[in-house]
Amino acid sequence: MVQTNNIPSLPARLYSVWYRHMLVYTRNLVSNGLPPFLEPLIFLAGVGLGLGKYITAMDGIPYLQYLASGLLVTSAMYTASFECTYGTFIRLEYDHAYDGMLASPITANDLILGEILWAGTKGFFFSFAVLVIVTVFDIIQPGLSLLAPFIGFLTGLLFASISLWVTSFVKTINHFNFYMTGFLSPMFFFSGVVFPISSLPKALRPFAEVMPLTHVVRLIRAFCNSDFYIMLWWDFSYVVVITVVFGYFAIRRLKKRMIA
Amino acid sequence: MSAIINVSHVHKSFGALIAVDDLSFTVDGSNCFGLLGPNGAGKTTMMKMIYGKARRDSNPTGSIQAFGFDPGKQELDVKILSGVVPQENNLDAELNVFQNLLVYSKFYGMSKAESRPRIDELLTFFELSEKKKSKIRELSGGMKRRLVIARALLHTPKLLILDEPTTGLDPQVRHLIWEKLRQLKKEGLTILLTTHYMEEAFQLCDTILIMDKGRKIMEGSPQSLVKDNIESYVLEIHSDEATKAVLKIGDVDDIRLDRTHERPFLYSQDLETLQKYARQLGKGGYYIRQSNLEDLFLKLTGRALGADQ
Repeated sequence: MVQTNNIPSLPARLYSVWYRHMLVYTRNLVSNGLPPFLEPLIFLAGVGLGLGKYITAMDGIPYLQYLASGLLVTSAMYTASFECTYGTFIRLEYDHAYDGMLASPITANDLILGEILWAGTKGFFFSFAVLVIVTVFDIIQPGLSLLAPFIGFLTGLLFASISLWVTSFVKTINHFNFYMTGFLSPMFFFSGVVFPISSLPKALRPFAEVMPLTHVVRLIRAFCNSDFYIMLWWDFSYVVVITVVFGYFAIRRLKKRMIA
Repeated sequence: MSAIINVSHVHKSFGALIAVDDLSFTVDGSNCFGLLGPNGAGKTTMMKMIYGKARRDSNPTGSIQAFGFDPGKQELDVKILSGVVPQENNLDAELNVFQNLLVYSKFYGMSKAESRPRIDELLTFFELSEKKKSKIRELSGGMKRRLVIARALLHTPKLLILDEPTTGLDPQVRHLIWEKLRQLKKEGLTILLTTHYMEEAFQLCDTILIMDKGRKIMEGSPQSLVKDNIESYVLEIHSDEATKAVLKIGDVDDIRLDRTHERPFLYSQDLETLQKYARQLGKGGYYIRQSNLEDLFLKLTGRALGADQ
């Protein structure tokens, strides 16, 4: 009596969530997209041009190039983290956007996975945008570095998973300040973006190794400098495992919040 | 007429709070079924369990079937056949009217060729065609509400679930929405709604279930519930003088005195009896009308319906 074959497929459901976020985001593209795009460039100009005069090379690479390659992934990290903390929380608690979506043929799992994919896309896009500028200004030479947006995508997925997991605990939007200042900011400085981990005091180095950003920074440097070595597989695996594990627990915990 | 929804001995608690307590009912196809009760009665929770937004307690065991599917396990099967209008208008403020509908057509898996004509059709039906490109903040409350209902109908569902469809709207818009819902019902749509407006239940519902504190109090057609359970006429007292007069007169045959309100209410099957009684109260300060669901609810629960609780 009842047809069930018109339920959208899983890819169609994930795409519809992605499409919703894309449409909403691009309505205010300039105000949404310009600041996170300019921020790494301002940092690059301020620190790179200034300090670059005194530091000619870092780890055997011109300093401006060293810094620029790191900023390709931090731009992805920040955009995915903001999307999946403040963005997700607002959709969950203030806009009630999820209430409507969950009343249509979309499960909580679809919704959260779609969210992670969207954050990955933003990671791709911002890495690409920064890459275009640093390539045009000849800071990074075109080559395998053109694959950087894919590392940006991976970075987006990684920080989306971690951020959603954090969001699943948060009751008040102000609590995200702890995550931003207590986790993302130190990671930015101590994960090999601005200076190599080998310059850290010995006791701190293991902590840097635990930080997820460290591993995507190594991956992006390898592509930007065309310098590949076997331990990169470890970095890649670490990123994948962290993404999957945090993604899994984020889905489990957020689902409980969405489906009473 | 076959049953679309079967709810049998369903329980739902949030910690120590019991939201739904051993509730059972059946909704027939092409019917309008209303869940009626004060705030906090468990109406919304019950509806959420039907479309999979909330899960019923697993102990004690109860069952919910919508179109033969268990929403706890087969939520997608239920959702593709249902449209939901939540209590709050959760439209995307960044998108215009058309885009709001377009996004949802994707959720329902509709292609562009399917969604474009359907969107136009619904905008025409709900008298929103001129607002197609408008921003959400430019819409009135009534327009927003109609848009949310249109959004729930995009995929031509067999069941429409409405949580307080006209709360907070002016009478004109309310009547317009009622008229549209009646038309949809005529076309075969099954409607499940919650309300705390007696008039809304009377206007739309074939069957109503009155609930309070998670429990079913009474179920039946609005007309028969009123006819069978409450006297036909009410004499409402409004002034201090009339109140004093009523208290002085005391009990009278064939008239039931209800003192739950601040002012006394007097009920009788016979209009003339009430009119005769009213003449003893002096000039003004009272009002005679037909009894309604509100009076019934008051009788059943001993308190007013619709008050914030």
